[in-house]
Amino acid sequence: MSFVLRSVSTSAQGREIVRTTRIDKDRLSIGRAPDSDVHLTDLAVALHHARVERRGDRLMIQAETGLFVALNGGKTNAGVIELAAGGDLRIGSHLLRFLPKAADTDDISVSLERVSEGEGKLDRDADRLFTLASVLPGKRAMAWLLVAAVLVVGLALPIKAWHDRQQRTAQFARFQADELWSSGHLSKGHANLQQNCGACHVTPFESVRDTACKTCHAKVHDHASPFRLARATPNQSGWASFQLSVKQAFNLPPGRCVDCHKEHEGPLDMAPTPQAFCSACHTDLKDRLPDAHIGDAADFERAHPEFRPTLISGWTGEKAQLRRLSLVQKPKEASGLKFPHALHLDKLGGVAQMGRRLGMGPQLDCTNCHRPEPSGAGFQPVEMERDCAACHSLDFARSGGTIRTLRHGDPAQLVAELRDFYGLRSAPLPPSLSPFARRTPGDAPALQERIQFNQGARLPGADAAIRSVFSRGGACYDCHTIDAPPPGSLDFRVHPVALSTRYLPHGWFDHRAHATQSCASCHGAAQSSSSSDLLIPGIATCRTCHGGESTAKPVASTCAMCHDYHAKEGAPTMIVRRLVRGQRRDAGIVQAKVSR
Amino acid sequence: MASGGISRTKLGEGASHESFLRHRNFRWLKIALTVCLVAILAYAMIDVQPRPNGGSAYGYLLGTIGALLILWLSLLGLRKRAMTSGSWSLKGWTSAHVYLGLSLVVIATLHTGFQLGWNIHTLAYALMMLVIASGVYGIIVYAVLPTQLSDSRAEMTRPQMVEAVAKFDTQLQTAAQPLSHDDAALVRDAFGEDPFRAGLIRRLSGRDARSSTEAALQAMRRRLAVTTGPEAAALDGVVTLLERKSAALERIRRHLRIRALLEVWLYMHVPLTFALIAALAAHIISVFFYW
Repeated sequence: MSFVLRSVSTSAQGREIVRTTRIDKDRLSIGRAPDSDVHLTDLAVALHHARVERRGDRLMIQAETGLFVALNGGKTNAGVIELAAGGDLRIGSHLLRFLPKAADTDDISVSLERVSEGEGKLDRDADRLFTLASVLPGKRAMAWLLVAAVLVVGLALPIKAWHDRQQRTAQFARFQADELWSSGHLSKGHANLQQNCGACHVTPFESVRDTACKTCHAKVHDHASPFRLARATPNQSGWASFQLSVKQAFNLPPGRCVDCHKEHEGPLDMAPTPQAFCSACHTDLKDRLPDAHIGDAADFERAHPEFRPTLISGWTGEKAQLRRLSLVQKPKEASGLKFPHALHLDKLGGVAQMGRRLGMGPQLDCTNCHRPEPSGAGFQPVEMERDCAACHSLDFARSGGTIRTLRHGDPAQLVAELRDFYGLRSAPLPPSLSPFARRTPGDAPALQERIQFNQGARLPGADAAIRSVFSRGGACYDCHTIDAPPPGSLDFRVHPVALSTRYLPHGWFDHRAHATQSCASCHGAAQSSSSSDLLIPGIATCRTCHGGESTAKPVASTCAMCHDYHAKEGAPTMIVRRLVRGQRRDAGIVQAKVSR
Repeated sequence: MASGGISRTKLGEGASHESFLRHRNFRWLKIALTVCLVAILAYAMIDVQPRPNGGSAYGYLLGTIGALLILWLSLLGLRKRAMTSGSWSLKGWTSAHVYLGLSLVVIATLHTGFQLGWNIHTLAYALMMLVIASGVYGIIVYAVLPTQLSDSRAEMTRPQMVEAVAKFDTQLQTAAQPLSHDDAALVRDAFGEDPFRAGLIRRLSGRDARSSTEAALQAMRRRLAVTTGPEAAALDGVVTLLERKSAALERIRRHLRIRALLEVWLYMHVPLTFALIAALAAHIISVFFYW
């Protein structure tokens, strides 16, 4: 029972030198002490470092207290080596390799060699092997690569696309690299500009200007002159004022189209203008613009002036004088026409009876005379021949198969025609058969009688006929104001007539949208006995249904429901948009808009 | 020994260690939370028409704050090379880096107005979120993994781990001498298996399905089961050595895996930060180019 120790060392030339020592013991002492069985000349090894003791088929390894050995690669204070398997014991720089014991001998072979692998170098190499730096490209290289890629895609290519567009070589139909700069899809209306950044972004580093918008939107009406707008805008303070100064510092002049018409917010519809947009200036506009022609308004329900219709306030000669007067002043209109609405709408009077005879229903109603426009929003002007003549006939004679009518709208012609007609006749017509007395069409017996008289009897003279037609009881006199001439003269003067077609040109009202209501619920025509009565309902009437932007009333109404920022005559843009987007069923307005 | 992670603060008075996360009783956490809260409140209160976006006044404000923060945060790379103490100690700086970096999630997200798309602006945002995510990952692994890394070494130095494998190869060379030619070829295949040749993915997985040592071990075990006599004794020795080598390789792989997990975030965090700064520059230039 002994250990055979083979000390292996390497000469300077790399030659292996093996010395074999036989130790006839069951215990080996290992250390730097010269009396050790295994003498290790390594300063890292203690004098008495460890003991190896054979017990049967095992070797018990025991290091001194506080010291360690590496047993089969594992650091330990004590351990066991199975003789059959052998094992490695490393102490400091020395490796004791216990070879598996051969069955036919009791000796235990141990090889001893100094492991001189150059620890320092291996340390550094191994350390690097364990890091990711050994398998990944350097962080710096990756950083530069990514930076280059991002700058090419995000900066160089878009700028090239811009440059190409300047040279007019770019195709707008396909993807352009500068689309990568688009912060969001354009609104639906501008979808076709998606590939054409330069349509709006005309000059680099200059904010989008109105001139770019007006390239297409040439007819948009300005809200007011820029100077008046500037004066009307309230002074900003605090955050808003700070914003304004920052914007100016960054070359973003206020009041541009894009301030309101924001883009790159996704394929959205233009949102209805919020009330605050208008009320910001209009709540106290008069304070800043005393000469403004409009009253202050902040909310239709709570702060909106009474309507100020444009009406015919009087006449200068033949010229109608138009004025905007508030309904508060209870203005009268001077249309020049005599027309008592009450009389015509009376259920029981002669008018109703006449209407019944003519098959107009039990009584006249508004639609017998007022005809809506094709859009249904407003009404066509009343025309005498079309809307009145069914009752107010101008027939006066029969010539062959033709019934002759008085010329309407041109008194001088009428006088001339009457002179011609009556010039050759002298017999005065009995008053009962005057051709200028009012007659009802279809009253055949009376007509017959008159014609027979005209044929057989002496007819009135022209002067009498002219005087008759212009005087009380005559056909003209019923509806027109007529200045009688001095005695002996026939120079009757018919006052000119004008009818308003749009009383509220700065506001929008759509009759068709109110078709569920009766005319009388807003217009007090049945109580009006004079044509000078203005039948435009006041704001109080509207307010029975319409409230402000936020209201308990059935219809919440922002300014945009009746008014447009870019003033125009037709339906407000908001109404038209709703219609186009199918949020409102009323095609008439759009047709009207298109035909306009 | 392992540092015990970053949460070990309650040591003795003298040696007390305060992690950068707890620096000055979470000073920067509080500051970052306040910033986020103010930003969110302002976002909720300012009514931007038609919808919130980076181009509103508040959007520009958030964007400016965010861009300056990003630039300052990226300066940690320079700052960390100079250790100082005091209020603006490196630890304080790191603490601010972490918490203000996290607050960027709120600031930049509000700056986007939740409008994202396939454009340079969203690229910058996405890169920023990746950088932040990798940073969060880094904090977590730094808290958890160093202990495991230390344990996985089994008290060995890294050169010793490498050396152990080579040593087994040497022994196998000797032990396999009695084997038949075919068996010896199998064992020879296992020589020179280099666990460090594993790329990033295999390192992160900590497994090597193609390990030649493992293959040789399985083959030798099968051979051992059907062999008797002196050849079996030789095979047994080889199997034992292969088992030990396999264990040594496994130890290295485990170590490699933890090292990879510990280091991989910086390989994202740093290059992506530079990509982010480039994207940020492109983002800002593009905004003013098409102003």
